[in-house]
Amino acid sequence: MNEVCFKTLDQKDPWSLKTYEANGGYSVWRKILKGEFTPEQIIDELKTSGLRGRGGAGFPTGLKWSFMPRNADMQKYVVCNSDEGEPGTCKDRDILRYNPHSVIEGMAIGGFVMNATKGYNYIRGEFMEPFYRFEGALKEAYAEGLLGENLYDSSVSFDLYTHLGAGAYICGEETALLESLEGKKGQPRFKPPFPANVGLFGMPTTINNTESFASVPDILAKGGQWFADIGVENSGGCKLFSVTGHVNEPANFEVPMGTSFKDLLEMAGGVREGHTLKAVIPGGSSTPVLTAEAAMAMTMDYDGIEKAGSMLGAGSVIIMDDSTCMVETLTRLAHFYYDESCGQCTPCREGTGWLYRVLKRIMDGNGKADDIDLLMGVQDKIMGNTICALGDAAAMPVESFLRNFRKEFEYYIEHGKSMVKG
Amino acid sequence: MADIEIEIDGNIINAKAGEMLIAVTDREGISVPRFCYHKKLSIAANCRMCLVDVEGAPKPQPACSTPISDGMKIHTQNDKAKASQKAVMEFLLINHPLDCPICDQGGECELQDVAMDHGSDVSRFTEGKRIVADSDIGALIQTDMTRCIHCTRCVRFGAEVAGIMEMGGTGRGEDMKIEPFLAEGIQSELSGNMIDVCPVGALTSKPFRYELRSWQMNAVSNVARHDLVGSNIYTQTYKGRVKRIVAKDNESVNETWISDRDRFSYEGLSHENRLLVPKIKVEGAWQEVEWNVALDFAVRGLEKNVRQADQLGALSSNTATLEEFYLLQKILRGTGSENIDHRLNVKDIDNTISLESNIKLAGLEGVDHALVIGSNLRLEQPMINHRLRKASLSGASIDVINAMAFDFNYRINSENIIAPNQTALTLASILKSVLKSAHTEVPEYLGNAEVTEIATQLANQLTDSDNSVIILGEHVINNPQALSISNLISEIAQKTNSTILNVSATANSMAAGLAHFVPGKGGLDVNAMLAANLNAYILLDIYPQYDFHHSVQAIEALSNDDTFVISLNSFKDDVVSEYSDVLLPIASFYETSGSHVNVEGKVQSFTAAVNAPSDAKPAWKVLKVLADLLELPGFHYADSMQVTSEIMHKSYKQHVHDENIDITVKRGVNVIWQKSPYAVDVLSRHAVSLQDTKIGQINSASMNKATAKKLEITQGDNYLGVPVSISESVANSCVFVNANHAIRGQS
Repeated sequence: MNEVCFKTLDQKDPWSLKTYEANGGYSVWRKILKGEFTPEQIIDELKTSGLRGRGGAGFPTGLKWSFMPRNADMQKYVVCNSDEGEPGTCKDRDILRYNPHSVIEGMAIGGFVMNATKGYNYIRGEFMEPFYRFEGALKEAYAEGLLGENLYDSSVSFDLYTHLGAGAYICGEETALLESLEGKKGQPRFKPPFPANVGLFGMPTTINNTESFASVPDILAKGGQWFADIGVENSGGCKLFSVTGHVNEPANFEVPMGTSFKDLLEMAGGVREGHTLKAVIPGGSSTPVLTAEAAMAMTMDYDGIEKAGSMLGAGSVIIMDDSTCMVETLTRLAHFYYDESCGQCTPCREGTGWLYRVLKRIMDGNGKADDIDLLMGVQDKIMGNTICALGDAAAMPVESFLRNFRKEFEYYIEHGKSMVKG
Repeated sequence: MADIEIEIDGNIINAKAGEMLIAVTDREGISVPRFCYHKKLSIAANCRMCLVDVEGAPKPQPACSTPISDGMKIHTQNDKAKASQKAVMEFLLINHPLDCPICDQGGECELQDVAMDHGSDVSRFTEGKRIVADSDIGALIQTDMTRCIHCTRCVRFGAEVAGIMEMGGTGRGEDMKIEPFLAEGIQSELSGNMIDVCPVGALTSKPFRYELRSWQMNAVSNVARHDLVGSNIYTQTYKGRVKRIVAKDNESVNETWISDRDRFSYEGLSHENRLLVPKIKVEGAWQEVEWNVALDFAVRGLEKNVRQADQLGALSSNTATLEEFYLLQKILRGTGSENIDHRLNVKDIDNTISLESNIKLAGLEGVDHALVIGSNLRLEQPMINHRLRKASLSGASIDVINAMAFDFNYRINSENIIAPNQTALTLASILKSVLKSAHTEVPEYLGNAEVTEIATQLANQLTDSDNSVIILGEHVINNPQALSISNLISEIAQKTNSTILNVSATANSMAAGLAHFVPGKGGLDVNAMLAANLNAYILLDIYPQYDFHHSVQAIEALSNDDTFVISLNSFKDDVVSEYSDVLLPIASFYETSGSHVNVEGKVQSFTAAVNAPSDAKPAWKVLKVLADLLELPGFHYADSMQVTSEIMHKSYKQHVHDENIDITVKRGVNVIWQKSPYAVDVLSRHAVSLQDTKIGQINSASMNKATAKKLEITQGDNYLGVPVSISESVANSCVFVNANHAIRGQS
């Protein structure tokens, strides 16, 4: 446990340059500056490691980095997505708080590989403490000469800037993040073109999640194979899981991919005394909800969770015990997406409000017999038809809640009150 | 052109790699529904209406933003595509008010049309609908934003075409609103195009509000005559009246857009000031008479007053049609007079601009450099300015030499605010710099010109560009050194291999040139005629207080007791009534057939969209009958097209000036007098809604503090009847007058 991103967690001032370097930090970066690494080597190691994007989409990081036109004669950018806004997720916050240098080193390495001399870390607007920690780490890195121009007299330059968001969930979508970073209204761009070709300020850009960047230095220090071996097939390495909800000790846990859900639940102290597990959202509110049975049989890796009927997402495990009213929970989630939709494209702008209003009406005791079919119909019409994934994210919980807990909805509609809470 | 093959709905189609799918389906006539896509605007992909099934793609793809690649297989009609289109349609309609019965867009609404194909007949949406408060965005565009479907075409039009982002999307999610950022509303000179691009009834024409349904009207192709472009339009008519004007596509002229002036000036047609009945003045009193009586009176008056042929003069405004110019000069020349002119606003005909344009409108987008001299191009020639803006967006540098700083809607590389009396000297410096760097001999007349740093920069820009253009605007016509300026520009253009675009005389003045509506050998020009006390005039749609540079002298000369004046006018005017002996009511814009000649020499003919009101007749017919009554030969025309073809078979050469170039700086305050943009001609002056816009209210004599002090006037005073505005954006020793003497009243 806690082998990569959290390895300094239990030490004194885990966020300091001193602690980071005492644990082998910046060794890879210093080797790069001495010319001991080539970009191709780094991409190969990353491919071997099986590291997949930790923001939610799970796209192989090595492959992503190889798409950048590194030799194109123009400014290129590396952007870190620290706009961690998915309900249930709080892992990047703790990486920034306790191990900010790993993000800096990961981004610098990314800059070297992609031949990008500028980087931005876009941090969620509400993250004041992580923001100051990261800024502090940046200062230390600059003071040590690890960032800047022609570092240690090499031809390598890398400048890194922090940008604080303004609190919109949509800006966690990478192209909306780029728009926001450019000073525009945070609205996703249609793709293609992808950021690797037309990204920040129209230039080639690689965007990765905080945890992905933070994992890179150790992978290169210890080898891709070492990382791959920690996890299971198709899910290399370890992963941070934010376990929240009805557990006794909610926390972030960095565990090997493939750890059983049962063990993870155990680490978080199990469900509350006197209650039984009812449902689990394994990857953040945008991923489908699972029943207790399905969850208990699941292993925490990309394929394991998919087999159980959901997605690993950002590793945000929301635990619900038998006191949870699923109608109420879904209504709250639907409100979140309704509130956070940017309004740019039709299905999401109109559909999220429709979903929420129907659910709200059911909650108000005015449900109608065909509302479940209506909700299924509406979510299905949003799914896959939008510019970005927010539409899908709004649709998936509706579909899975209704599929797995249909009886509760039928009860609410028929009786005008909750089956669980009365 | 084809270099790849794709398959759409089972048919093999040739296309270019990287083209957007919707461009291919549009070309092939395959119907794909859309709202946000517009061929002239950037891709937004936000409405999602054009989703189609692309084999191999897990999700449906928007045709507007999917670049095609070889072997792609697309289904626009299969279950997956149709399900997506239906889904989007349902979402678009849930919050749409469906108030088609009271919506002006009804019958020409893209949402209605697409909903017929892809919508359901019953809505499953039973929640409350969204209501959006409207904002008053000005006199031209009516908003009903509850109907808005957030396609952002108007937003993109503003940002990309008009060049000012006046509309924007504020708020987010369901609460996103399309609204102007500023309380003062929409001010662009191209704003009416937002009405055309809006696919629903959110933005409609305010003057046209609640008038008619689109299917009740006839649409007649026509040409607008307010500027040098001759934008193609549809005049939409109902029961013999023009009710609305919309743009007609013509890629080589106006693309898809028209200016607000071209769109809304039709309101003037139904103004109460129209001249409707022929009148004759008998013993100082006006009598309304039949046409034959009026024409007989006119002919007898001419016979009585014109004892010598050269005692007759003909003058015309610049809005006449090619055929009208031609017939009037033919009458004059038929009677033996060469006293013919249309250059009423020119102070000194022998000392003015004579430059031929040698660039096409479409070519203007391709220039890599432009030097604009003496023009507020954006408001004078909106569609020409739009072409130049496109050039600027694709990287062209644009330099300006003006007497006042204007609000251009593109980046100006070097803006030089220079007093009119310095213009010739500045151009001489540029020419000298050009000649020097080419190691060519410098002629004597450039001797005094000092090659300044600015002149060198401006010269180098012209020399270093592969495809540069020099654009000459209205402000220079009455410059004391206009002819020298003209000749210097000609020299510079030749030496730097630049093209010339002369926009100094607007409206249909190119047609006057083509019809040879200028004095011939022994003839008098406009100012000479007025000074010569002629015995008789035929005046074509002239309003002397607006049209003549020497308006006081003109009114005086025309008012002589022994001068017989035949006035053909489309509008009533007190001064015209005062000096005329016969008033013949003529058709205005869109009420006559004829031709417009645009700046590139393109002759565009049009038919009458409606009949002229009451007894008014097309001027070409009036002139033809007048010629018959005067028993002049060669006027056997059955329609105006016969006149047109006769003109096209003749070719006239413009009189070429060849004077010395004078670059000495003349001391004193120079006045540049220009009609404000919505007061350029009699029709636009009577267009009520245009006058209520910010551009319509431009009426000021601008000068800087130093000039004001010299003239001993202050802010709040009037200068030549126009309110004084003190501004440091005006060059020293210069008064820039933009006068709008619009006639207000009931339409």
